[in-house]
Amino acid sequence: MPQLNALLNIGANSLLLQQKSITVTGNNIANVNTPGYTRQRLAIETATPVQGLDGPVGYGARARNVERVYDKFIGVQINHENAGLGRWEAQKNSLERAEFTFNETEGYGLNQAFSQMWNAWNDLSLKPSGMTERVVLVTQSQFLADTFRTNYQDLKNVQDEIDAAVQSAVDEINRLTTEIADLNVKIIARETPGNDASAYRDRRELATKELANLIEINSFEDSEGRVMISSANGRVLVQAGDSFDLSTQINAQNHLDVYWSDSTGATNISTQINSGKLKGWLEARDTDIEGYKQQLDDLALTLMQEVNIAHGGGFGLDDSTGRDFFSGSGAADIKVHDDIVADVTRVAAADSLAGVPGDNGNAIEIANLQHKLAMSGNSATFDDSVNSLISTVGHDVRRAEIYQRQQISTMEYVENYRESISGVSLDEEMINLVKYQTAYDAAAKLITTAGEMLDTLLGLVR
Amino acid sequence: MRVTNQMMTNNFRLHINRQATEMLTQQQRIASQKRVNKPSDDPDAMARILEHRSRLERIDQYDQHIERGKTRIEFTEQVLGQVSDLVNRARQIAEEKKGSNVSASERQTAAEEVKSIYDQVMQLANTRYENNYIFAGHQTDTAPFERNPPAGYDIQYNGDMGDYRMIVGENTEVALDADGSLYFHDSVNGGIDIFNELRDLIDGLENPNLAAGSTQIEATIDPLFDGREQVNLKRAELGPKIYQLDVTQQHWNTFKPKIEDALAKEENADITEAILILQSLEISYESTLATAARILEPGLLKFLQ
Repeated sequence: MPQLNALLNIGANSLLLQQKSITVTGNNIANVNTPGYTRQRLAIETATPVQGLDGPVGYGARARNVERVYDKFIGVQINHENAGLGRWEAQKNSLERAEFTFNETEGYGLNQAFSQMWNAWNDLSLKPSGMTERVVLVTQSQFLADTFRTNYQDLKNVQDEIDAAVQSAVDEINRLTTEIADLNVKIIARETPGNDASAYRDRRELATKELANLIEINSFEDSEGRVMISSANGRVLVQAGDSFDLSTQINAQNHLDVYWSDSTGATNISTQINSGKLKGWLEARDTDIEGYKQQLDDLALTLMQEVNIAHGGGFGLDDSTGRDFFSGSGAADIKVHDDIVADVTRVAAADSLAGVPGDNGNAIEIANLQHKLAMSGNSATFDDSVNSLISTVGHDVRRAEIYQRQQISTMEYVENYRESISGVSLDEEMINLVKYQTAYDAAAKLITTAGEMLDTLLGLVR
Repeated sequence: MRVTNQMMTNNFRLHINRQATEMLTQQQRIASQKRVNKPSDDPDAMARILEHRSRLERIDQYDQHIERGKTRIEFTEQVLGQVSDLVNRARQIAEEKKGSNVSASERQTAAEEVKSIYDQVMQLANTRYENNYIFAGHQTDTAPFERNPPAGYDIQYNGDMGDYRMIVGENTEVALDADGSLYFHDSVNGGIDIFNELRDLIDGLENPNLAAGSTQIEATIDPLFDGREQVNLKRAELGPKIYQLDVTQQHWNTFKPKIEDALAKEENADITEAILILQSLEISYESTLATAARILEPGLLKFLQ
């Protein structure tokens, strides 16, 4: 009798077990396209055998726990690579925006503007008393100044756009760290040893991955199952159920710096962020684009200086001398001097007062500034300097593109590795379905058989 | 290694994206006919393209300068030629009328002709090119020669010693003498003052004292001859200038196509090549799509009944 009871129990347990397995399989199938989902498995083990008359007798199978098929090291690697991807993507996008401002391939950029201005000085040298030549010269010079100002302003606009992106990223980071801290608490509350709170863990992993994309992180899971996250040289972002917010403040260059706050106050961590989109943006804004602006400034200032010195030494048609041709303090506000615009006879083409109006010496001198090695410590001409700036921009974009592509490949590889461990394969689940259903049928058959045996036994007694 | 559904879909998505991006780049090249559509397409080539463009602009500018310079020289040459002829005529008159047998009325007629010659020479010396007086040095807005006092035949030079400089190359100039006094009025440097000689000739012809007049007339013959030589010499000086301009222009004319070639090589897309690449990209794109369709579709589910 104990055996028959045992048989019924074994059959019933098996039935329930296979049903449970099918439920787990069903969960996997439903989540085949869920991002960040980790497949689950029912871990089955043999039940403790019972002591029988002839020795230990097997007592069927039982479920140990629902396993989460997961490699915790791969998560760390994914976050690291995702940070790199975020960084180069952000940097590339910002630099591409900057590249657009230099409209050189169409021929309407600085290179063309400079050429036209030099040509105008040349034309003036051929006819120093000409009014038309003067008007054209002033127009072309204004166009060059306009191009400087527009390029400079466009670069500033890109920097402002980056500021907006930084602000929005900081807000998102804070949202994510709050969520992760929250999940930390939920997971501890939910889990019992051997039974993972799988769905929460999946969500926490996803949130961490998104966070890593924005700012590089170091994460560590303690024995209790809580994840601690730090960034920027050890500043804690999440610890157990607490999250530490980032904030932004305007700095001396009128842009946003990223700050981390704890009980002692707010610290500027902008230069200590090593990867992630924030790094890409900050580097593009503060190093690359700031560098381009600086070069434009150098160009504008040196141009103004050289032209003004030469111009001041010359004499205009109105016999005046000592006038500046350009006014302004840099690329942001360079323009042709108001006095010159007001009266073009003031353009100084002549070398000496006596030489007015046929003396073209000063016009020639200024036209020859085109060939003067005035830039880069007296080693480059204005044209050289413009060309090298454009080339630098191109190289910077190219470099970011190449790194981004590399990161995409690496991410692909690492994600595939994770998928191969934790992802759902429908074909596999189908096989499992067949497997467990067959076992279910067999268990049902076992119960039927036990029932028939019981009937037979009872039939004996009657 | 397990292969999961998300792996397959992600992979295909990545490949399709990559190939589509490449096709887009090629299409852009074909549409714009340029290989370099933004600096990042080829940063080094971009720098060279900009350099070539600047250089072509400069060469065009130099060419213009040279053309204008040549025209001015040819013009000057013509003017000097006419002056030379006039001075020669004056000398002829001096030769003819120096004799003591020439009557006062004949001399008067001759004097009128010489006066006319004087005015014509002055007019020629006051020639303008592109609205500037070419024999006035730097005082290009003022007529260099005028009779002062207007009734008499004393000449006044209002110009200065400036020359006309032209940029014809990088830090290369050609200068033309524009100092009118060097041409027509050069008593300072041991040359001939043509106007003064003509004036003396007029005085001589109009001198009521025929004998004294003859002396005066005769005194102008050699100077007028030398004066003509002076003008011709200045004409000759223009020869080498034209030659120098021609050679420089030739230089730019041979140089320019080479730069244009270099620019085209850097900048222009090889359309044939681009189209071929695009075609092969299209083929691989279609293969990827076909493969995706074949792999993503079947599953065990289809076969389980």
